[in-house]
Amino acid sequence: MRLTFRHPPTRRLLATACTALTLTLVPIQGQSQGVMNLLNALGGSGNASSSAGGLLGAITGGGNTAAPQGDDLVSMLTRSVESIDEPREIDIGRQLAAVLLGSKPLHPDMALQRYVNQLGRWISLQSPRPNLPWTFVVLDDPGYNAFAAPGGYVFVTKGLIDRCADEAELAGILAHEITHVTAKHHLLALRKTAQSGMLTQLLASQIKTTTVGNVVASQFLALGRNLYARGLDQTDEFEADRTGVALATRAGFDPYGLVSVLQQLRTATPDNPLFALSLATHPPAQTRIEQLELAMGKNLDGFTGAAPVTLAQRMLPKGTPAASGPPAAAEPAAPARKSTPPRKKSS
Amino acid sequence: MNWLHRGAHALWQTGAAIALLVSLAGFAQAQETAVVKRATQLRDAPAESGASVAPLEANTVVTRTSERKGAWTKVNTAQGATGWVHMFDLGPQSGSASSSNNTATSGLRSLGGLFGGNSGASTTATSTVGIRGLGAEDIANAQPNPAAVSQAEGLRINADQARQFASNAALQPRTVQPLAEPARPSTSGSGGTNSMNTPYDPSSFGPN
Repeated sequence: MRLTFRHPPTRRLLATACTALTLTLVPIQGQSQGVMNLLNALGGSGNASSSAGGLLGAITGGGNTAAPQGDDLVSMLTRSVESIDEPREIDIGRQLAAVLLGSKPLHPDMALQRYVNQLGRWISLQSPRPNLPWTFVVLDDPGYNAFAAPGGYVFVTKGLIDRCADEAELAGILAHEITHVTAKHHLLALRKTAQSGMLTQLLASQIKTTTVGNVVASQFLALGRNLYARGLDQTDEFEADRTGVALATRAGFDPYGLVSVLQQLRTATPDNPLFALSLATHPPAQTRIEQLELAMGKNLDGFTGAAPVTLAQRMLPKGTPAASGPPAAAEPAAPARKSTPPRKKSS
Repeated sequence: MNWLHRGAHALWQTGAAIALLVSLAGFAQAQETAVVKRATQLRDAPAESGASVAPLEANTVVTRTSERKGAWTKVNTAQGATGWVHMFDLGPQSGSASSSNNTATSGLRSLGGLFGGNSGASTTATSTVGIRGLGAEDIANAQPNPAAVSQAEGLRINADQARQFASNAALQPRTVQPLAEPARPSTSGSGGTNSMNTPYDPSSFGPN
């Protein structure tokens, strides 16, 4: 069922410091003592971009292979999403980001990583949460997908980058993912899983505790795997489309970038191994376009008009005369293998 | 080496190469068939003010090119006319993959075991044509990589750097009103309030 609580897409109150420590852990057996300490350690520091301490450090840390017990994390997640303060939200995001980066590595093209960070960070500045430690990542994967994690982590695959006809398309995708973060869609999804009692089931079926150091890390791993394989609620996807379009437009981009992406996505078939996960975890592209048409009408058409810029054009070092009509795919400067033929010529 | 065999082999190689190219292309390359959703005009410029090249009846089939300017896509008609149509006036050809909303379980088939048999999805692995993207099974087998997270965090851009980027790119912030939420689509396959892309309903999840 849907949560009855809906977030207004506005800046929301941060949980106050006093709620930060109200993690009333259910009293549990001694072996979870370490978990309590870990969770408490999360409460304190307001420094978002601290080193890999907190829960994340726990993944690499100790080898107490306790039997899975969902109580601690479940009690945290089952609480209202509001009670998860920003440092804790960021820590949850780092855990989930570690799972995603465990499935595919960073793409080695650092110029591309930098460009996507610049573009994404600029868009994030127009969002309701401009001060999160936004982190944008290109995954070395030929498939077509984008993900986000709480606290400002946004991922796109190299296959997606290669298929962006112009910067407005990529901006539309990043704005969609940024909206998942600002609206805390992943926390809502995790909460739902925690409330459903499914976590125990997931732990039992997919986590061998010997491979992960401790209970909390195991729980996050199980939750993360489940979340990204399953996707978010359809309603949240529509909201990310709608709010993302307005956000990208606010940042100066053509509002139709995302619509253009969805029109192309419409032609991909679910059995295409480059698109399977993307299509399985999102509503049908046609439905998304219809929802956007209802929301946008032609109200944003006045914000169009900028000439399309390809990623390659934007990534040219300053002072380089822009050649007319380079291929759309961002061509890394380093001799990297190119996975796709250029999809389009720029107009 | 016998010619027949070589020929057959070359033929096979060509076929494989084509299959690979098709899968690499991912999208239909540049040319895609679309249907005009409502009567409109084919225009000679990407704007409402563009002069009409020809009227377009509802359900006219056109070919989309890869050229786009804002809301406008360049299309070709069966009669050989070329012009611009607003993207919202174009729909998919009926019967195309996109109209089916039964894609929900495809990505999850390989995950069968994770859902305690609850999802009802069969455990058929997705077929691969030589190359595939990040899939559900990669995520199911992922071991956390905190070092990569730290590396990614080292590549963060701060607000000032982002503003500098925007300034170089002549990107200006603009005031845009939030878009109101429209009525929910009535096409939902599950009919539930959750989603058709969620293969189980956690609220009804029970031990089996």
